[in-house]
Amino acid sequence: MKSPFRAVFHRRSTPVERYLTLLIIGYAILVTSQNPRFFSLETVFDLVHEGAPTMILAVGVLLVLVSGGIDVSFPVVAITSAYMSIKLMWAFGLDTMAFMLPVSILFGTILGLINALLIHFLRLPTLIVTLGTMAVYRGLMAVLLGTSQYPVAQMPKSLAEFGLLDIVSVTRPEGVYGLSIFLPIVAAVMALTWFLLYHTMIGRSVFAMGSDPEAASRIGVNILRTRLFVYGYTGALAGLAGLIYYAAVQNVDPVALSGFELMVIAAVVIGGAKLTGGEGTILGTFLGVLLFQLFQTTLVQLGLASTWASFFFGAVLLASLAMIYIRQRRADQRNLVFRVG
Amino acid sequence: MQAILDRFKGHGHVSVLAGANIVVLVLLAIGLGSSFFSMNNMQSMMTQVAEFGLLAVAMSLAMLTGGIDLSIVATAVLAGIVGAEFLTGKVVDLATTPAPVVMAMAVAAMLITGLLCGLFNGLLIAKASIPPILATLATSIFYTGVGTVMTGGASVPVKVKEFFKLGTVTVANIPMVFLITVIAFVVVGMMLRWTRTGRRIYLYGENAIALRFSGARHERLVILTYAIVGLICALAAMIMVSRTASARVGYGEAYLLQAILVVVLAGFDPFGGRGRVSGLALSLILLQLLSSAFTIMRFGPYMKVFIWGAMLLAVMLVTRIMAGFMERRERAHVAPPGSGGSPAVVEAVSA
Repeated sequence: MKSPFRAVFHRRSTPVERYLTLLIIGYAILVTSQNPRFFSLETVFDLVHEGAPTMILAVGVLLVLVSGGIDVSFPVVAITSAYMSIKLMWAFGLDTMAFMLPVSILFGTILGLINALLIHFLRLPTLIVTLGTMAVYRGLMAVLLGTSQYPVAQMPKSLAEFGLLDIVSVTRPEGVYGLSIFLPIVAAVMALTWFLLYHTMIGRSVFAMGSDPEAASRIGVNILRTRLFVYGYTGALAGLAGLIYYAAVQNVDPVALSGFELMVIAAVVIGGAKLTGGEGTILGTFLGVLLFQLFQTTLVQLGLASTWASFFFGAVLLASLAMIYIRQRRADQRNLVFRVG
Repeated sequence: MQAILDRFKGHGHVSVLAGANIVVLVLLAIGLGSSFFSMNNMQSMMTQVAEFGLLAVAMSLAMLTGGIDLSIVATAVLAGIVGAEFLTGKVVDLATTPAPVVMAMAVAAMLITGLLCGLFNGLLIAKASIPPILATLATSIFYTGVGTVMTGGASVPVKVKEFFKLGTVTVANIPMVFLITVIAFVVVGMMLRWTRTGRRIYLYGENAIALRFSGARHERLVILTYAIVGLICALAAMIMVSRTASARVGYGEAYLLQAILVVVLAGFDPFGGRGRVSGLALSLILLQLLSSAFTIMRFGPYMKVFIWGAMLLAVMLVTRIMAGFMERRERAHVAPPGSGGSPAVVEAVSA
């Protein structure tokens, strides 16, 4: 008898996925017992609307982590690409998503490819290289394009309307709630990434490179091409996420999302992505982001101030990390594997 | 003269840094003149470099082991908040307790907090085998979370007036906080050079597995290293609180990028095992000179961000090119023709 999970996903669930699911269900029950209004479609719709940019960014981060690197420049890439695409569109006197979307994704891809080239040829930890590019991208854009903010009245009308677009809406006595257009976009991103990671050669090479770059290179994985794919794709997703973020918050701020990189990386790490073993699942990433969003938005319903969010999130992250790596440490001790660092 | 030149042989990076310092100093003397070299500006530069210098030396210790500590700023801020809770009168009654006692308690609380934060990092890295990047990423969020919960996100003001003096008092025109940093540098430098622990930190960074097989207690070494890192962060916290007369979450976030920049600029190998405290001191001076010059020239904050990032990338590029050049020269000297293939392959993928 196959478990329903295996029937859907064709694999076993990972321990992290199981523990996160239990944690989220437990948390939902706890919040519902304090505040019955939590258990409703509106909560789900809100989570989709607010979590969409984070989820898209997280999928990109998952790819980078699986490839054995860490990228901290992606929020800056996201914001920079979206802001540049808006400025460029205004220069042409246009106001349409059909221009902004491809241009923002293109800018994101270019910035990502620059990351990949630097990482490949400098042969230094990806964290340090992307810290450098993050500062350069942000500084350069701020110096060249300025840092003026455009609130909802001044931002592109098509972008503002895009953020309010719903595919389904529910009418309640308190008002109308809609399921945002973001849902199919996020679902498409997740499906595409899942397909690329698990069903194509390039996806397998990402896992191979993350597990052991030397072994990967000896079985014929082209390291440079794999890096270009990983960081280029992450950049493209960032470009998309930047626009969606602007649409979601209805405000164009060229220095938004600063410091957000650590939170997204943390969400992906909670979901079981391993820096040292080419491991990570999209479902785990989804659960990690879900938990992050829940802590961000629903602690108030428990009667706790939102200042507790980092505390809880950090604690869960530590528990998740300890669980993953103590397991690996035991296995290493059994198998007499000695790792560096 | 020859003796001085001999000393610099084999320390290419340190001499390049010293040269860069001299060039920048000369340029500043020509460009800005006496306004730059006034006693006032010198003192303010020394005060500024003090707290940042401590964070940089903390980061450099973590990097010597081949790790990294992303939680240095979070540790310092948390230590500062715990200390400020004493100085604001929340823990002890300021009216009845004499000021020196309160200050001693506050400093002790900061040092203990820093030490505990560092110990916790070390335990996660050594005993749970979590990669340093992820372990300290998690603790930086967690420590920030603890600080936010303690303060509710607000700033904790210092009410003991005597504590501000630490930030302003001078000894022979040299700010006291600068002296603290100099002493910390000398102590860390001597520890790395003359003690068994210091040599083992280098060995661990060079080849952790070899050190493990040589019978050294490698896990204890890692825990000790990160504990020292935490302690140094607490010293930085002390200076921060005395200088700003308060402690709050979110202070000094830009220091993390700058600390990594200054350590890489100083010639520390992020993969561990290479780097000298003297180089770190020189690269700190260089960065501080430039930073002050930019302030006098009225560069905006984003211009500075751009310059720091571009410098980090440029330094890495130059180091990479120089390393490639040295490798080729060594291979030409050592290896007979045709036998150099295998190391090149290994090297190409090890990044």
